[in-house]
Amino acid sequence: MRGNRYFCKLLSPQLFPLVEQFHRRINNHLSINKMNTITLHNTLPAVFAGREDTGSEIWLRDVTFERGKKYLISAESGTGKSSLCSYIYGYRIDYSGTFAFDGRDIKQLSVAEWCKVRTHHIAYLAQEMRLFPELTAMENIMLKNSITNFKTHEEIVAMMERLGIVEKVDSPVAKLSIGQQQRVAIIRTLCQPCDFIMLDEPVSHLDETNNRIVAEMVTSEAMRQGAGIISTSVGNNVKINVDKEFKL
Amino acid sequence: MSKKDINNTDYSSRGLMWKLLRKHISKSQLIGFSLASLVGLTIVILAVQFHQDVKPLFKDEDSFLRKDYIIITREVSTASTVLQGSNEFSTSDIEDIEAQPWCRQVGKFSSNDYSVEAIISVSGQGMRTMMFFESLPDEFLDVTDKNWKFDPNNPKIPVIISRDYLTLYNFGFAPSQGLPQASELAVSKAVNLQFTLRGNGEIQTFEGTLVGFSSRLNTIVVPEDFMKWSNEKFGNSAERNPSRLIVEVNSPGDERIGKYFSEHGYQVAGDKMNQSKAQGFLNIIVSIVIIVGVIISVLAFFILMLSIYLLLQKNTKKLQDLLVLGYSPDQVSRTYINMVIYINCAVMVVSVILMLLMRAYYLPMLNAMDVKGGSIIIALIVAVIIMSLISLGNILAIKRKIKDLWIQSS
Repeated sequence: MRGNRYFCKLLSPQLFPLVEQFHRRINNHLSINKMNTITLHNTLPAVFAGREDTGSEIWLRDVTFERGKKYLISAESGTGKSSLCSYIYGYRIDYSGTFAFDGRDIKQLSVAEWCKVRTHHIAYLAQEMRLFPELTAMENIMLKNSITNFKTHEEIVAMMERLGIVEKVDSPVAKLSIGQQQRVAIIRTLCQPCDFIMLDEPVSHLDETNNRIVAEMVTSEAMRQGAGIISTSVGNNVKINVDKEFKL
Repeated sequence: MSKKDINNTDYSSRGLMWKLLRKHISKSQLIGFSLASLVGLTIVILAVQFHQDVKPLFKDEDSFLRKDYIIITREVSTASTVLQGSNEFSTSDIEDIEAQPWCRQVGKFSSNDYSVEAIISVSGQGMRTMMFFESLPDEFLDVTDKNWKFDPNNPKIPVIISRDYLTLYNFGFAPSQGLPQASELAVSKAVNLQFTLRGNGEIQTFEGTLVGFSSRLNTIVVPEDFMKWSNEKFGNSAERNPSRLIVEVNSPGDERIGKYFSEHGYQVAGDKMNQSKAQGFLNIIVSIVIIVGVIISVLAFFILMLSIYLLLQKNTKKLQDLLVLGYSPDQVSRTYINMVIYINCAVMVVSVILMLLMRAYYLPMLNAMDVKGGSIIIALIVAVIIMSLISLGNILAIKRKIKDLWIQSS
């Protein structure tokens, strides 16, 4: 019976993550190279192909985002704001021109390098949030944190307390309001080391107070890590003092 | 929620991924696969195991399907009956057979050149009959006994008779007459033999001892030195060619043997040649069963494949979200790969258990035929290979599908 119990323990999922965490810790230590710039050269979404002048300060221009600086990209709906984010995050490639990290064309990145970008260099909040409705708020956050091991439980709970959703820790995300979901998604975004924080309409569903709190949280996290912030907005800007604003 | 509660909850990436990705797993599809796979694999390994277990029947020295020895005679034709003597094998005939590539050695049967009268008595009740003797070199005998020798100074004739006679008594005669069946040992002890040899103006009575039963030789065998001695004493001393030969062959299944015999008008005694076809027949049956099992396994494989494709299709959004979150395709695939491996291992274990249970059912029947079971290693290896191939196919399919999700369309 005793042997049987140990055997079950061996097969239990708890043991594997220990090994995984160990590897991740080592990887974290190895990832000392910082990403300093994201540059765009003559980029244009494929759907806009053929347009000579889009009137945009991003598309078909040479743009550089630097680590440690804050940017706001204000846009009207349908100008390719979410497309821009998905190109930079590597899960869409329907564009012309060149995106580069520290001068290296991102189309040359391997799958493993992209995983590194997504867990160590760029923290990304998608406009559609990409939460998992059947998982609880905490589970959604831990899904990210368990591969980065960046925040402690206490830190996560503290952030939830600050954004007023701590009582929703065990509620399935499907049962939360859009505003609450947005706050969960923001916390999840901050659960990783990064050189850039890329936020696609981060506060579209938040009130003034929460907007301010989010701005403070994001800014202080960026300051702590020396990261840059790239935020997009169609009107309701996150309350961050930006170094530069682009019109998309 | 208190801190303690949070720490106690399973927030490992593996646990969370399983919670997330197990949705849409169709239990009925997986059970369908497991059953189909179980049936297919069990059929295959049972056929392999049965083949392993039955194989000794064709290899074992004393087995009834023994066929390394073939006894041949010339075909008896009307002409040979009239002409006399042409049923014998000449020295050149024998040399020609010995020169064949499939032939190991040839033994000559010699027979008595005098008359033999036997009195066979069991517990006082006797029976008188005319009979004959044959002898052949000792290396062709399947019975060894310390009494297998003849000493003219203390004349006692050891004989070996065909096991068929005992079988005939035990399974034909005894049950119909309400007599008890007799073991070989009991018969050897109970039967008294007395032989009276006449010829060449001499007459002498000898005691006989039954030293054994042969399943190879369908005749009454006496030692070769006795045959020589008695033919000299009672026979008319003319040297005769043998009319029966025993041929030890390399591979009884060899087509050339049958062809050679029929070309030369030689007949194979009994149905030993037919028995030699049994292994070929068994091989065909086992092959067919294995093919059926493999087909079922392949179909099962496609059921699982289809189920996995549906599952991945239904969970596409989640899988893509995990990838965007920074999970590698390998990490994302691992959930499903582990599931496939667990299922396939379980199927394999159950299948091996089923095979062993069925084997335990038929093994006593084989043991009754004096065949011990073969090793189960080969069946186990086959099981592992088949399940590894199925798992490998599934794993490659999962990896390929998840890789396809890496780039999303707008």
